[in-house]
Amino acid sequence: MIEAHDLSRTYGGFTAVDGVSFSVEEGEIVGILGPNGAGKTTTIRMITGFLPPTGGRVTVAGKDLVEEPRQARREIGYLPENVALYPEMRVREYLAYRGRLQGMPRAEVGAAVAEAVDSALLSEVAGQIIGTLSKGYRQRVALAAAILHHPRVLVLDEPTVGLDPGQIIAIRELIRDLGGRRTLLLSTHILPEVELLCDRVLIIDRGRIVAQGTPAELARASRGRRRLRVAVKGGDGGAAAVLAALPGVVAVEEVADAGEARRFHLEVEDTGDGKMGDGAPTDPREAVFRAAVDAGWALVELAEEATSLEDVFVRLTTRDTAAEPGADDGAGDSGAPGEPS
Amino acid sequence: MSAVWATFSRELRAYFFSPLAYVILFFFLLVNGAVFAVIISYLSDPQLGGGRPFDVMFNSFPFWLLLLFWVPVVTMRLLAEERNSGSIEVLMTAPVTEGQVVAGKYLAALVFYAFLWAPTLVYAVLVDRWSELDWGTLAAAYLGVLLIGGLFLAIGVFASALARHQVVAAVIAVALELAVFFTGLVSALVQRPAAREVLDHLSVIDHMNEFSRGVVDTRRLVFYVTATLLLLFAASRALEDRKWR
Repeated sequence: MIEAHDLSRTYGGFTAVDGVSFSVEEGEIVGILGPNGAGKTTTIRMITGFLPPTGGRVTVAGKDLVEEPRQARREIGYLPENVALYPEMRVREYLAYRGRLQGMPRAEVGAAVAEAVDSALLSEVAGQIIGTLSKGYRQRVALAAAILHHPRVLVLDEPTVGLDPGQIIAIRELIRDLGGRRTLLLSTHILPEVELLCDRVLIIDRGRIVAQGTPAELARASRGRRRLRVAVKGGDGGAAAVLAALPGVVAVEEVADAGEARRFHLEVEDTGDGKMGDGAPTDPREAVFRAAVDAGWALVELAEEATSLEDVFVRLTTRDTAAEPGADDGAGDSGAPGEPS
Repeated sequence: MSAVWATFSRELRAYFFSPLAYVILFFFLLVNGAVFAVIISYLSDPQLGGGRPFDVMFNSFPFWLLLLFWVPVVTMRLLAEERNSGSIEVLMTAPVTEGQVVAGKYLAALVFYAFLWAPTLVYAVLVDRWSELDWGTLAAAYLGVLLIGGLFLAIGVFASALARHQVVAAVIAVALELAVFFTGLVSALVQRPAAREVLDHLSVIDHMNEFSRGVVDTRRLVFYVTATLLLLFAASRALEDRKWR
């Protein structure tokens, strides 16, 4: 449904997006993940036709955004990062305006507006002036405007940024509802959002795709270590040494000020088959348990920290920086200056 | 066409929903009313001799002052505000062209401008009642007001397409309009007859003088319509230019 081929964009001398290629199938929900300034918004602006690429090409539903902009744009519903509505208009009026802007026949606009108001849960405020609405409602109005003309592709740039937790949950639910039938491309720098909503993730850093796959695939690919949280009561200074001696354990870190119990973080080598290194047949948790029993400690906590997308993300987007001499400010905002808003 | 209409109707509503429009309208009518009252009392003085009040009004200094400094206030918001607020992103990812957006906004500004002048027709009714008035001449004068104003509005739209902030747009528009205004005035200083003739054809003051006397010259019509279209074309190109920066 969306095909991006070797997409690049430079602003003056600054390269914001550098040879990005990916495709999104019909009905798929794909997340673009990256730190601020990684090139997410620029990529999305090229997909929606707001910015022409300086290299490569992008098609939506088989239509090239540069060669057939009007046909291609009709297929897209777009929620920009910066939601700018016209504050003096009423919600229903604004939606009707957006419908007409999409070239909808006058007769269809009314029904489409009613439907969008319904699905974005806006009926309470449909007659209100946009300037009086909260940010959460404005976001919903923008979302309603994006789905108004029944686009086959929905592109959402940071849909939950700047909202309070309650509003975030509401918008996510809405996105999930809307996403069901549509192809959806979603950019965010919030990791749980991707894990909750997306079938597939593209991780972008410094204008390049550094990884892609399902959230589970990415988590698995990055695995290599498992992390255990262990807390024991009883036992003296020797606990750390005992734990460190367990097969497969690479590092033990004691957590200070844990109160009565002593807490440790264990890094355990992972062979990928759920078993520990050194050919040991057991689960590392089992080994910890047995060690505790042998030593006569009371095991008050034993848990494995799931490798989250966050770990993948942090690894992928900071490793590049470390490899590059002189880049000491993190992968963070280095992309911001060239981006117009 | 529906895109032009959508932009036009939204923009026209925006004029009437913004307080700025009423401020513009208030001062416009205040100045015009005051000027007209002064003209009437001046012309009614038997010692000073008669004249046609509209003829005087459209050739007066306050008329040009209004046109030069008030028209940019009408147009400054149009495109600069879309850029500044970011709503341009929604506009330019809809299946519409830059030209359609510019056309819709220009037409809205033109209608608002006509709306500013409409109440002054009351003066005409009053003059017609207590004195005599040639409606044909008056129609020519208002055509001139519309054509010259239309050109200035196009300059304003162009300026608004260049700038990101309304105030900057207004300043650019005033500067460009003053340049047009003074082009006609410098002809007196030019020695070469050929150059002088060219400049005379560009003099908006002379043009308004002709219109207010009831002279409608086809060359003027062609001049204003083409110059306006050219500026609107330039505005749509300026709007497209943002893509490459």
